[in-house]
Amino acid sequence: MAKRLVVKLDLCIGCRACEAACRSRFKGEARVRYGEVSETVSVPMPCRHCEEPLCAAACPFKVIVRDEQGGIVRQASFHCVGCRSCALACPFGVIDTNLLRDVTQKCSLCSDRAEGPRCATTCPTGALQFVEEEKLAEKEVGVGFAARSVHGRRL
Amino acid sequence: MKAVRTTCPFCRNGCESIVTSDYQFRMEYALDAPVNKGRLCPRGNSASIVVDHPKRLAYPLLDGKEVSWDQALQYSREAMATATPEETAVVYSRGLTEAEVRLAWGFAHAVGTPNLVCGYVEPDNCFQYRLAGVKAATIEQVQAARTTLLVGDVFNTSPVAAGPVLEARYADRKNRLIVVDSIRTRQAGQAHMFLQVRPGTEVFALLGMVGSLDKGLGIDVEQCVALSGVSGKQLADAAQMLLGGPTFVGSAMHLGRVYHPVQHSLVSQLVAVKAGATFTGFGEARVPFGKIGFEEFRRQAESGSLKAVFWFGGLYPYSYPELMPELADHVQFRVATSIFRPESALPGLVLPVPSELEKESTGQSYWGVVSRHPVAAAFSGARPLARILGDLASVSEEEPAAAPEKTAAEAVKLTQAASAGVDTVEFVLLGEKRASGIGGFYDVEDEIRLSAPDAARLGVGDGEYVQVEGATGKAEFEVRVTAAVPKGVMSIGVNAHRNRALFPMAKDTVSGQTVIAPAPVQVAKSTRTSEPAVEMIAEAW
Repeated sequence: MAKRLVVKLDLCIGCRACEAACRSRFKGEARVRYGEVSETVSVPMPCRHCEEPLCAAACPFKVIVRDEQGGIVRQASFHCVGCRSCALACPFGVIDTNLLRDVTQKCSLCSDRAEGPRCATTCPTGALQFVEEEKLAEKEVGVGFAARSVHGRRL
Repeated sequence: MKAVRTTCPFCRNGCESIVTSDYQFRMEYALDAPVNKGRLCPRGNSASIVVDHPKRLAYPLLDGKEVSWDQALQYSREAMATATPEETAVVYSRGLTEAEVRLAWGFAHAVGTPNLVCGYVEPDNCFQYRLAGVKAATIEQVQAARTTLLVGDVFNTSPVAAGPVLEARYADRKNRLIVVDSIRTRQAGQAHMFLQVRPGTEVFALLGMVGSLDKGLGIDVEQCVALSGVSGKQLADAAQMLLGGPTFVGSAMHLGRVYHPVQHSLVSQLVAVKAGATFTGFGEARVPFGKIGFEEFRRQAESGSLKAVFWFGGLYPYSYPELMPELADHVQFRVATSIFRPESALPGLVLPVPSELEKESTGQSYWGVVSRHPVAAAFSGARPLARILGDLASVSEEEPAAAPEKTAAEAVKLTQAASAGVDTVEFVLLGEKRASGIGGFYDVEDEIRLSAPDAARLGVGDGEYVQVEGATGKAEFEVRVTAAVPKGVMSIGVNAHRNRALFPMAKDTVSGQTVIAPAPVQVAKSTRTSEPAVEMIAEAW
């Protein structure tokens, strides 16, 4: 069953443990990025693994492909030449334009790990969660969650 | 591939993790751990890099040159024989296990010296100064709390402990989170009520709350309002909220963010007692007080009355000898232990010791007793402290003295006495401990946060540079304009030695311990620009 990575904005405390976990696995550069909505609100920016990935469309060597079964958009071969087309094409800006070992860094949802991505496992507050697609509706940001809190979260 | 289950040594939350070693040491997640359920903070995630870090020290260094262990021990014995017990000092610091601290006490006893010093700025003031009647919280109580009061930046001190706090905050519509801090941190963004106090005056806001909760203690709430800058209504409202149902009080006993450590600890506990709440003090390490204060040690060293100094505990990146080069002029023998090679050649002897992850130990976490298992054999050339001390003298473990419990009346009196030291300066620099990575080698702390009015006055914007000059040093920082810090206040991270050197070593009046107090500084726009201009040389092309 396909699983997706979701963000619960309310729970993010901006500690950047997701980045550290990714960096300690991939030695040097984190593949999950991090943004700030305001001084007190930050948000992890993992790859969305789009249904029609623009990064894959932009790749001149078809290095990035979508794995239809798992729903993972991955860098499938070693033929990346570091042209950064994928980074420019990504509408969410999650692929870093900085190259590591002359290759762009693309999240693979830690497909080598049975329990799911390291960033979601390590998130101290559960802001990043790895859930099944069927349960996605109830896990979405703001649905049934922020609505429960009295003042919501000041942005 | 070998996998060892151990407990993270970098704060006292007691997070379990699995360290695997295939080609490099790597953290994996213990999903069934009761405290953290596999979760780790950035420090925990990068803890394994210490084990095979390229900067590990593998041999003793004497005045920056490699020597054998025999020569090193000879130098140490000479120091012990030459200096009288009064001319010797034993300093211990963070990086020692609880058993090793007891060994340091035993060594000082064997040498016969009265100069036993805790060289760490954040001794365990919460548990050393325990208030009578305070109830320690369990994780279940934190999760079940209806009202939570957080003092200081708890989320940054122990990010994994933020999990249960947020579970409680979002469990029910009626649950409340109150935050007392001088900076609008991310946890303040989650709060229902945020009491933004003037830097270093958290204790007075808390005292005001105690005054509203118990009128019988004779607390002048008006004075607390004036000192902390928080309105009387807010204090009374916060106190009222604390009375609603199961309540949890968490207080960050944190390096750099705590100005009056003893009062901070006592008065946070007092709020908990008066509100009938459970309490946890969040700190980084348990390092008990020595027999004399650090300031007294420093005074003795500078006056030349110390001949030999034995310094045990993390030399880099956590403690001070590197910050005190002047010690070399006055002290004849210096013996220190270290995990890492010092950045510059240090005078005296530096002995390699195993890192936290290579030692077997048991210790106290916030939630109970934890045990740590070595993930690897001691680094080549490193010797455990017990063996080093055993070679020097016959040492037995000695229990550090515990400070007596304080009563509510004493806590109030101490806090009221601290109000005399509050004064206003134009620019105040605050030390902020950020949770990212370990020590200096994960994040470069070259960012300074200041408010928009201050930035406009200095004529700087995001990404430009300012020069900050304090009484003890100066440095350049990249500006980050933010609404999180109030006007007249700037904050920098204090993991880096360079940043810590900007704060004069201040002394806490009650415990005699060193604190990183808000420091008055001069700030000016720097000529340096954010992006160094690239000079194109025609010939090179």
